[in-house]
Amino acid sequence: MNYQRSQLLEQELYEPVDDLTSLWRFSVSRLPSWSGTWGTLPEIGPLRAHRFGHDHHDEESVSDVEADVLAAVRQRARDVHEVLSHDNDVFAVEFAGSTGGGKTMLIERLIERSPDDEQIGVLVGDVSGEDDAVRFRAHGVEVQNINTGKECHLDPTLVSEAIDEFDLGHLDTLYIENVGNMVCPADFPLGANRRVLVVSTTEGVDVVRKHPMLVQTADVVVVNKVDIAEAVGTDVDRLRHDVESIAPETPVFETDARNEHGVDALKTALESERTHDHEHHHHAAE
Amino acid sequence: MHELSLATRLVDRAVSAAASHGADHVDELTVEIGEATHINPDQLRFCIEVALDGTVATDATVTIDTLPVCARCECGWDGRPERHDLALSYAPDVRCPECQSTAALESGRECRLKSIEIPEKTQRDTSETREPAENNDNNDNP
Repeated sequence: MNYQRSQLLEQELYEPVDDLTSLWRFSVSRLPSWSGTWGTLPEIGPLRAHRFGHDHHDEESVSDVEADVLAAVRQRARDVHEVLSHDNDVFAVEFAGSTGGGKTMLIERLIERSPDDEQIGVLVGDVSGEDDAVRFRAHGVEVQNINTGKECHLDPTLVSEAIDEFDLGHLDTLYIENVGNMVCPADFPLGANRRVLVVSTTEGVDVVRKHPMLVQTADVVVVNKVDIAEAVGTDVDRLRHDVESIAPETPVFETDARNEHGVDALKTALESERTHDHEHHHHAAE
Repeated sequence: MHELSLATRLVDRAVSAAASHGADHVDELTVEIGEATHINPDQLRFCIEVALDGTVATDATVTIDTLPVCARCECGWDGRPERHDLALSYAPDVRCPECQSTAALESGRECRLKSIEIPEKTQRDTSETREPAENNDNNDNP
């Protein structure tokens, strides 16, 4: 039996056709066999990294965004960036990395180094619990806790809902602490100005090599707990080398957040990035 | 993992596309995923099949194609990056083979519904006239 059917290509999937006869253009016979080629699909637009606020010309096309779930996620992240950075001049820094790597403490150290008049918000993602949120509230900053429940990472939709709870017009800085996870956040940018990936020496010397795609989405890599590197047998230079090889030109900072070593350099670098983006936006607005 | 939430969105799209074309049955849906994602094709297929249950595409064949990574460098080079030999799991080597600076990924991060197949005659096309579902091993990710 020569069973006829219609295959709807991407464009047809999202643009309901008025004239049903146009569907027959894609009618095919599945027998005897088909080559698997259905004509040319639209070219895929360039994909953005997680860094926002620089190149605004390489947006993905509308049809890609509608057809592609991950492209839709990236578009949602750009929307978050637009609200935070462009509409409200908030500098947002995401911290990603394993559970127990020191993300919370690093953010606390950065908060402690901020001037008194800097208005800071923190968005905390955790599968469950309020532990990190409680720590941040003790610093007198505004905190929104997102319990992701079933999800193993924050996504830009959760972030866009949570930032509505802040008075963004009064906020200078937003720290976003992602769920402890070295895998999934690679596919889910959140719309922060910068993503800081925190790895710690206790995660082993191969932590960068094991999670290369997350490393490639980071704007900054922090190697934390360098004070105990020798005790746990981790060669920090090797970690640096792996980052340079897998994600060339990504700056690496060494910290011992508990004893406050190396945090000033990270703070200075982030402030420099804030100034860079701020000037970029003002140029763009002129 | 996030396969279930992605699968749910892909299925929503397939079902609404079928509805907007007046189809009461979907024979096949094809999904493309980029190699530079953390999506596991087998898990995604399982989640799609679960999410299809009870929809017009309940018994649709699910085909998953993997798209290669392509990159472009400012120096003019473009092509498929090598797999990074230092990394313990897949990652593209984003260093440009021509000039050694960092090349940008142009593709490889997709997760999209490429197509659906619906019967040509959607009106009361009873199951006994249908061909059995075709084995779709030709396009599967290994």
